[in-house]
Amino acid sequence: MIGTLGAKAIQDVVEAGHFGRFVWRAAVTSAHSSAVRRTYPLVWTQMNLIGVRSVPVIMITGAFVGMTLAVQAYDQLAGMGLEEYLGNLINISVVKELGPVLAAVMLAGRIGGALTAELGTMNVTEQIDAVRSMGTDPIRYLVAPRLLACLLLTPVLIIYADLMGIVGGALVSFLQFGINSRAYWDLSAYGVDFWDVGVGVVKGFFFGGAIAVISCYKGFTCREGAQGVGQACTEAFVMSFISILALDFALAVVSKNVYEIFWPLKSMIG
Amino acid sequence: MDKPNEGCGDSPAENIIEVRNLTKRFGTKLVLDGVSLAIEKGKTTVVIGPSGCGKTVLIKHFIALIRPSEGEVCFRGRRIDDLSERELSRVRTHFGYLFQEGALFDSMTVAENILFPIRQHHKKHPWRQADDLVKAKLAMVGLDGFQNYYPARLSGGQRKRVALARAIALNPEVILYDEPTTGLDPIRSDIINELILKLERELGVTTVVVTHDMKSAYKVADRIIMLHNGRVIADGNADYIRNHPHPVVQQFINGQVSEDDLAVLRMTGSAGAAQFLPRDFEE
Repeated sequence: MIGTLGAKAIQDVVEAGHFGRFVWRAAVTSAHSSAVRRTYPLVWTQMNLIGVRSVPVIMITGAFVGMTLAVQAYDQLAGMGLEEYLGNLINISVVKELGPVLAAVMLAGRIGGALTAELGTMNVTEQIDAVRSMGTDPIRYLVAPRLLACLLLTPVLIIYADLMGIVGGALVSFLQFGINSRAYWDLSAYGVDFWDVGVGVVKGFFFGGAIAVISCYKGFTCREGAQGVGQACTEAFVMSFISILALDFALAVVSKNVYEIFWPLKSMIG
Repeated sequence: MDKPNEGCGDSPAENIIEVRNLTKRFGTKLVLDGVSLAIEKGKTTVVIGPSGCGKTVLIKHFIALIRPSEGEVCFRGRRIDDLSERELSRVRTHFGYLFQEGALFDSMTVAENILFPIRQHHKKHPWRQADDLVKAKLAMVGLDGFQNYYPARLSGGQRKRVALARAIALNPEVILYDEPTTGLDPIRSDIINELILKLERELGVTTVVVTHDMKSAYKVADRIIMLHNGRVIADGNADYIRNHPHPVVQQFINGQVSEDDLAVLRMTGSAGAAQFLPRDFEE
């Protein structure tokens, strides 16, 4: 019993070490690749696959988040006669938390699954070994373009989700609840500033990086057979999901502290 | 190449690859057990042995796709098993590797597969010559005209020939073949054998073939090495192997099951006893 637990603990530590090395190599290689012009076509291809094709699903996700928030929050605010603050509540929730997190979760499913399945299949059919055997670093050729595409495009996709969340929330507020649009937008503008939008977009940068490295790592290390690839996809999604939530918490704490440090400066400038 | 490393530096010039006391473990499983051998330049060496004896693991060590648990791997008098992946990139361009299933990139056409290593290493290659280069490489394996096909549309034998065209794209000094005839019919197997001989003759490459196809081994080999339980048990030319006294060698080259294996089969129950399920589902 103790021996089994010990063996499992050692295995987990070794696995964490391998993952750490993979993340380090992916980060260093991506930084180097971003300055090499030959990498750009590969990044461009991945940006199309990862980013452009995710736009519809991200926009739908964002719109439903805003619409649902409007329906859920209206009764609470109307009970206190504060229904005109609905826009304020929806928009701050969408741009700071729900837009980035739910968009990232959607991307983890759509992109993460595809990356893990593609690289996992390449791994079990020895295509990754073939890349290595021809003197090419698979991290540079396969991981760096995907990581760079995710880092660049996840924040952009989050902006799309935010916009659609704001539009969806506003439409439900105006059309279903008959809220005065002027008061709605004035109070929204009062409650949401550039900092809030910036925090959400910066979160996207970290979420995109986490999704890319986890999905690529799981693809590179997946076991043989259809079951191995399937299991790797599941593990990649679960690990990405937990990482998104953990990063969201950490970034919320950091952004709050940073805001408190710089808040006095803002009032001095304003 | 850089200056020779300590240990590998005393390797004779005619040995292009040398492994010394090579041991490989996967977890607790010992796959290679202190293997020492040298591959002669310009010759065809065939590694034979039953499935799972460590043949593929051995040749993957030659280009450090797998790192040894113990021992050394030398290429042209330089130790390579302790190099970083970045340093190995240059070493690996001296090798062509034909994978068992071809390992063609299925998202690329045949032409793009062949151009892949060239694009990676020849940064200023005159791209107007690319079509001619692909045509020449495909002509060598008898598949000119298949440039725009995707691997999924090719037969098993064609896929291996395209993979071979890709393996010779960088004009390597050594070509490693991993089970090149496995899964092919006898005629297509012989086409691959003829290609191995043709490339050796025309390009002057050193060839290492891993196989359990004895017909193929006898046809292409200058030297045959037999692995059993992770160790070399026989090493010599085709005649030496044919007349080798070791019973395992004789059972393998003649395709005979050993008495021990037969005894196990007899002990593990009769086929009749295993048919306990009535075939009434057919009615």
